Amino acid sequence: MDLITRLATRRTAVLVVEVPGWAATRWAVEREVRDRGWRPALSPADADVLVVCGRPGARLATAVDHVWTQLPGPRARAALTEPASAAGALDAALTQLTDRDAQRRDAVDRPDEPSPGTGAAERVEGEPTPSEPQDDEPPAFDDPGPAQEDDGDSDAGEPGDMDHGDMDHGGMDHGGMDHGGMDHGGMYDHGDMDMDMPMPGGIMLAGAGGNDQLPDPDGLDLDVLHLPLGPVLPSWPAGLLLHTTLQGDLVVAAVPEVLPADGAPPSAQDVRRSPAGRWDAVATLLALAGWDDAATRAARLRDAALDGELHQGDADRLARRIRRSRLLRASLRGLGELPDGDAHDRLLHWLDGAAAERTTTLGDVAELVTGLDLAAARLVVASLDLDTAHRTPAPAEATS
Amino acid sequence: MSVDQVSSAWVPLAAALLLAVAAAAAALDGALAARSLGHHPASGLLTPVAETARLFRQRRRSTLAADVPLWRIGGAGLLTAALLMVVVVPLGRWTVADLAVGVVWFNAMDVLLWAAVWLAGWGPNSAHALVGGFRFLAQALAYELPLMFALTTPAVAAQSLRLGDLVAAQEGLWFVVWMPVAFVVFCGAVLAFSVWGPFAAATGSTTAGGVLAETSGVDRWLVTAGRYALLTAGAAFGATAFLGGGQGPLLPAWLWTLLKTAALLAVLVALRRRLPVLRPERLVAPAWLVVLPLTLLQLLVVSVVVVVRG
Repeated sequence: MDLITRLATRRTAVLVVEVPGWAATRWAVEREVRDRGWRPALSPADADVLVVCGRPGARLATAVDHVWTQLPGPRARAALTEPASAAGALDAALTQLTDRDAQRRDAVDRPDEPSPGTGAAERVEGEPTPSEPQDDEPPAFDDPGPAQEDDGDSDAGEPGDMDHGDMDHGGMDHGGMDHGGMDHGGMYDHGDMDMDMPMPGGIMLAGAGGNDQLPDPDGLDLDVLHLPLGPVLPSWPAGLLLHTTLQGDLVVAAVPEVLPADGAPPSAQDVRRSPAGRWDAVATLLALAGWDDAATRAARLRDAALDGELHQGDADRLARRIRRSRLLRASLRGLGELPDGDAHDRLLHWLDGAAAERTTTLGDVAELVTGLDLAAARLVVASLDLDTAHRTPAPAEATS
Repeated sequence: MSVDQVSSAWVPLAAALLLAVAAAAAALDGALAARSLGHHPASGLLTPVAETARLFRQRRRSTLAADVPLWRIGGAGLLTAALLMVVVVPLGRWTVADLAVGVVWFNAMDVLLWAAVWLAGWGPNSAHALVGGFRFLAQALAYELPLMFALTTPAVAAQSLRLGDLVAAQEGLWFVVWMPVAFVVFCGAVLAFSVWGPFAAATGSTTAGGVLAETSGVDRWLVTAGRYALLTAGAAFGATAFLGGGQGPLLPAWLWTLLKTAALLAVLVALRRRLPVLRPERLVAPAWLVVLPLTLLQLLVVSVVVVVRG
């Protein structure tokens, strides 16, 4: 390994994908990442290594495959199920990263142009064909690019329509698809598609808000954008896919669903309701609140609690520090109001070790995030500490 | 103490000095991060070198229908603005450009960042990056006016917009002593235009990295290095306008400037460990209703003192 490679891999950024039910494996990977002085990645563009924890179901696997195409490279991919194999998986990833010939071959094989999302061929589970008339459709719609038909709000009640894997890379995707692909569906809905609309890169521009039946909370006539959040998104519930409809950065409608694992997850991974699980929730919320230092310390406490070596003094010190932060309170206060309080209250409950057993349904999630901006919605979702593993994979519910 | 303009042959050296101090700031951040990971702080000192190696080895990310020219302009804009800012900041007795309107020049370069950060968010044609760019604009709306009045305060006291005159006017008493509010507001604004610490919402994890969500390789390096360079340029300006610049006993003037800059920079870097990110939408009200009146009050007090003193 030459000097540059050795230096470069000191700071390897890892994008960790948790399959619903494999929380303990994610924790083991995160601990291993920390021990090596590596760091978690915020997006595929930021990542060197993609690690999948658990056995994903077909749709989640398609989403992961799509995210894999977005890693810039040099890149490496690893998959594991057992927490004990975390070190081995990362060692293997490091070997891939430092293998110059393999990386060069990988780079040569990749297309120059970014993939605009999975094409029609990769759609799974009998995607219904668009019911709208096809004859006045611009030819570009047949390109692989805008092949996704997300009709967003209008047929949110049809679970079949949610099946395409191309939506799944979610928040992390290059915007080409987020803007274009997702929007032409919205334009179909209203039947007044403007054929003269310019289509940069073969994708439609965001539809004008005036065409949409959605109420605009600010009274502004903003463009409507359909943006999927998840399922591959750091600090996000495992496997959760939230189809959001945005006006500006405000969520005006959200349709949640969970992309399940392939089969039932092992019961040994059921760690969420333990003290370690509470510290994991704290770490996730703090990471989203942008307090890296406290989030790292909370994750260390989580791992110590898992080993049964949690020093109460350390835990109390961090809890005090978090409770005292006025800025954190200012930023979380009033978000995601439920009968048991807001996001900040729930954080304090976790710190007290007295988290109430909540039965937040996916429908509640949609209701809570509607009307919030994208960033606040992320904080609210994290504050709910959703357990996506023990949820019957119900069809997506319409809430808008 | 007088400040002389040096020949423009020194410009590359000034740029190298800015980058070197910025790298030191990144090393400090790496050391602090290593400490919170439970490692020895020294193990994080190489972070800027390792990150540079990693990003220079990485491929550039391209996205569908990206606005590539504007994306590149935005990404390079941060470092460019930082380099242009330090042009007017004297290092001890030497300055690269002894502008009569140095304070306004600094302010103008900081306004460039409105465009740079927003373009970096606009360019990749990505929802998260664009939201990140707009979050920076919301934040800029909060910090820009307080920053302008905070910059006006030392200029009123020195009755000049030339940075050399600001330093000369602090002979005996640093401005920070009798204009603490302006100094604190200025430091907050430096954090804000560097997208750092509590004001890092534009690159925050709630938007998957915001304006950085789609950048990789050398483009990401430019933005990251630009943020550290902006912090450094802001600290250098703060050390000059509020902490007496090259004034000090025993040591040579250039060393005093460097020491004061390094001390202020270290505080700014360390603040990131202590504070969570502030959501921009909750920033504008306190900034305009509390910070701006306080800054104006500070300016009024300073103006009255200047008039009374004649």
